[in-house]
Amino acid sequence: MTEQKTGNDYLFEIAVFLATSAQGCLNEPPLYGPFRLLDALSKLADFPDHATGLSPDPFLKEIKAIVDDKKFLVMYDVDAFKKAIEEIVEKFAKEMKKRYLQTK
Amino acid sequence: MDVFEVIKGRRSVRKYKPDVISNDLVDKILDAARWAPSGSNIQPWKFIVISDKNLLELVRKVSPGYLGETPLAILVCSDREREYRVGGSLGRDYLSISDCSMAVENMVLAAYALGLGSCIVKSFSRIAVKEMLEIPEGIEPELLVIIGYPAHKPTPPARIPIREIVHLNKYGNKFPTSMER
Repeated sequence: MTEQKTGNDYLFEIAVFLATSAQGCLNEPPLYGPFRLLDALSKLADFPDHATGLSPDPFLKEIKAIVDDKKFLVMYDVDAFKKAIEEIVEKFAKEMKKRYLQTK
Repeated sequence: MDVFEVIKGRRSVRKYKPDVISNDLVDKILDAARWAPSGSNIQPWKFIVISDKNLLELVRKVSPGYLGETPLAILVCSDREREYRVGGSLGRDYLSISDCSMAVENMVLAAYALGLGSCIVKSFSRIAVKEMLEIPEGIEPELLVIIGYPAHKPTPPARIPIREIVHLNKYGNKFPTSMER
């Protein structure tokens, strides 16, 4: 069921996901907004696998693994879902410091 | 399999094996669907079995709630014109949804009894799905049932206790029950 996608195919797929998610978010439960954004983040982490010129990003893959493990908490444990988002953002903040502020 | 075992064992599955589902099993699921109750016995449902890989992939892409990849999906639609003709505005505006939902419940229970996993999806783009599957006016996509062999067994989510949702004779009167979960 998995076919070789080009970077353009994959980008288009993410664009469709964002557009249809936006439509869904007009009427869906409010927490589905963050859920869809996390799902989009998970998909974006795979972008370098399909696009030439982009190198794999181990940090994003690590985030993807966390997202895919935790995103379904929205269905049955909202507090844990919110906590997972906070932890993900915290990881990004630490990574940003490492990438952009680390003194040589 | 005992009916209570099926009801309590069914889960919303979001990871699937790629194994193909035989036509025989699909027939059984559809047969279970059409035996669901419906208001005034209108049976307003129409089922679109999506097994074509390319089409299924397109439907998946316009359905943010379609999580995981399955070899099959069945779109359950209501015939709103038929509902209105037979059941009036009550049929068109309310029963069409509840009737299709009852058919869907039969489908997911049947799927589980047959060893399959499923998930009911409402988060799909109605406009895009209607376009892709060439659904005519008057036929309304209600729910998408994605089906496949499960790749995992989800943990059962907690249930609201009976004492919180059941009332005896009048709203607010405690219903005596020994069941906590």
